[in-house]
Amino acid sequence: MSALPRILYVEDEPDIQTVARMALEMVGGFEVRICSSGEEALQEAEDFVPDMILLDVMMPGMDGPSTLEALRKKPAFADTPVAFMTAKVQPAEVAHYKSLGAREVIAKPFDPMTLADQVRAIWES
Amino acid sequence: MSRKAVASAEIAKLLEQQRADYRARLPEQLTQLQKLADDLALGKRRQAILEELHQRLHKLAGAGGTFGLNTLSSRVQSLEQQVKDWLSDPVDTVDAAIWRSFASNLAQLRELMAESGHQAIAILPDATEEADEQAVRVWLVEDDPLVGRELAQQLESFNYEVCYFQCLSDAEQAAHTNCPDILIMDVMFEQAGENATKVLHRYPALKDIGRPLLFISSSDDFQSRVRASRLGAEGYFLKPLDVPRLINRLAEISEKRKQPPQRVLIVDDDTVLAEHYRLILLSGGMEVEVLQQPEQIIDRLEAFRPELVLMDLYMPEYRGQDLAGVIRQYENWAGLPIVFLSAETDLNVQIQAVGTGADDFLTKPISGTHLLAAVRVRIARARQLSAQISRDSLTGLLKHAAIKEMVDIEAARSQRIGKPVTVAMLDIDHFKTVNDTYGHAVGDLVISSVAMLLRQRLRRSDIIGRYGGEEFAVILPECSAEDACRLLEDIRLRFSTVHFNHEGREFSCTLSAGLASSRELPNHGGAELLVAADEALYSAKRGGRDQVQVA
Repeated sequence: MSALPRILYVEDEPDIQTVARMALEMVGGFEVRICSSGEEALQEAEDFVPDMILLDVMMPGMDGPSTLEALRKKPAFADTPVAFMTAKVQPAEVAHYKSLGAREVIAKPFDPMTLADQVRAIWES
Repeated sequence: MSRKAVASAEIAKLLEQQRADYRARLPEQLTQLQKLADDLALGKRRQAILEELHQRLHKLAGAGGTFGLNTLSSRVQSLEQQVKDWLSDPVDTVDAAIWRSFASNLAQLRELMAESGHQAIAILPDATEEADEQAVRVWLVEDDPLVGRELAQQLESFNYEVCYFQCLSDAEQAAHTNCPDILIMDVMFEQAGENATKVLHRYPALKDIGRPLLFISSSDDFQSRVRASRLGAEGYFLKPLDVPRLINRLAEISEKRKQPPQRVLIVDDDTVLAEHYRLILLSGGMEVEVLQQPEQIIDRLEAFRPELVLMDLYMPEYRGQDLAGVIRQYENWAGLPIVFLSAETDLNVQIQAVGTGADDFLTKPISGTHLLAAVRVRIARARQLSAQISRDSLTGLLKHAAIKEMVDIEAARSQRIGKPVTVAMLDIDHFKTVNDTYGHAVGDLVISSVAMLLRQRLRRSDIIGRYGGEEFAVILPECSAEDACRLLEDIRLRFSTVHFNHEGREFSCTLSAGLASSRELPNHGGAELLVAADEALYSAKRGGRDQVQVA
C-alpha cells in the first residue's frame, strides 16, 4: 500500500478550511497542509512536497488558475495532480479548468463526509 | 480503499459545532454586507465597494453551503452574480433604484438566516452538573435476601441509593431502561447454579452497562477472580463482608467519577489545526486552551494550570524540545506531562525529542479517538500518582500541600468562568481534650467522622482536605458565601449531634468554621482566600466556638 497522500489545500475562507481539514484528516486520514493564498501555497509547496493539490478557484490576490500556472513552472510540481474547487460547475467551465492542467473539478459546497473519497478517486485516477 | 479514521458520529458532532459557530457569526457578516450595500446606494466609492462585496458574497455563498445553509447560499450566489455583472459593466450606467433594490434583497437574507437558525441542532447540556447533588446509585445483585437486605441497609446509611435485585435476570431487565452508578454483584447464585463471572455474557445489557463493577463472593477461587478481572471488575470482596472496606472502595470509585474535567493546553502555531484538536478534546469533556505565542508558556501554565501540554514539535521560532526544556526548568512544572505531536516518523528524532523532557510522542495525522484516548489515559495516570502522594492516609482527604494547590486552581478557574468560589476552614473544638481524655485512637475516630460527614454533605465537585491535625479545608466551586454558610451550618449542627462512645463513656464534639468567598474578596488569589478563611475561623473560635463565621 502506498503512503497516505499529502494534500496541499489552498483556500482563503477560514471556515471552509476547518471543515476541509476535518474532512480530509479525520475522515480521509490524509496528511493535510492548508494555505490561505496562492502566494503562500507557492512557498509552502516546496517544503511540504504534496502528492496532490486542491485549489480554490476564486481567491483574493492570486486566484486558483494563476496559482496553478505558477506551480507548473516549478519542475517539482510540473506533474502533481491538481483539482480545482469551485461553485460554478458548468460543463464548459469544467472543460476550461481541465485545459489549464487540472485533473478534475470538485463542486462546492462539498459534502465533508465524502470529500476524502472524491479526492482519493481523483488521486488514484 | 476508503479509510474512516474517526467514527462518523464524532465527526458529525464536530461539524455540528462548527456549523453552530458559523451561524453565530453570521449576523455580524450580514450587518457588514448591509453596510456596504447602503454605501453603494449612497454612491460612495462604487468600484471599490463592488469589489469588496464580490469577495464577501463569494465567501458567504461557499461557506454557507458548506455549513448546510443551502437556501441562503443559493440566494447569495445570485446576488454575487449581479455584483459580478456590475463589475464588468461600467458602473455609472446603472440606475440608483437598482442599488436600493439590491440593498433590500440583501436585507432579506437575514430572514433566511433566522429560518435556518431554527434547524440548528441544540448542543445538549452536560448531564454531569445535574447529577451533582444526587446520591450515588448502587445496584446490588445478590441471591441471598438476608445478605442482600443487610448490605443494602448499610450502604444506605452511608448515603448510597441502593436498588436490590435477587437474580441476574431481574437486573438485566432493569438494565434495558435504567442504569446505576456502580454495580455490585454476587459471584455464586446457588438456586440458579450460576457463577456470575461465567454467565454474565448471557445478560448483555447488564454486562455492557459501562459502569464500575464490584464482585462479592464467599469463595476465593482464582479462576473466578481472573474472569472478574476480564470483565473489568474494580474489586472482589470476600464474604463475610468487611463493609467499611467496601464503602471505601465505593467512595474511591465515585470520587473517580466526579473528578473535575481534565485540563489540556495545546501549543501550536497552526490555528486551524489547534482548533481542530481543541474541538476533539472538548468533545471528550475536557477543558482546553490554545497557546499561539510560545513566549507566554509559563504565564499560561500559571493561569490555566493544565494537566497535560500537547505541543507541536516544529514551530516557526522554537522547537517543541526548546519549550519542553524551558518548562522543565521550573520546579513546579517538572512533573507536567508533555506530549509532542508531529508528522515526524523518524524513530530516532522521536526518541531524541522524548529525551529532552517530553513524556510521549504522537504521530500526525492522528484520529480523534486515538488522540482523546492518549490524552485521557495520561492525565488519569498523572492524577492517580498525585493522589497517592497527596492523600491523607487516615481520612483519604487531600493533604495540606495538595489542597493549597487546588485552591489556586479553583481560584483561577473561578476568575475564568466568572463564578464565585468559597473557601472554608474547619476546626474541631477542644480536640486536645478528646485526645488527652480518650486517647489518640478515639481522636482519630473523631477526625475521620468529620471527614465522612464532609464527604456526605458536600457536593461532588467540592474539594475537601485535611489541612492540619484537626483542621480541615474545603473548596466550594461555583458557590456563594451565603450558600456555603448554610451548608456549613448544617454540617456543624449534624456534627454536634454525633455521639461517640468510648468504654461506656459517651461524649460529643463541636466544630468551628470560617469561610471566605471570591465574590466578597475579588482580588484575592487562592492563598489569600485561605488566609481570610483562617482568620474567620479564629474569630469563630474567639466568639465562643461551635459557630460559622464569614470573612
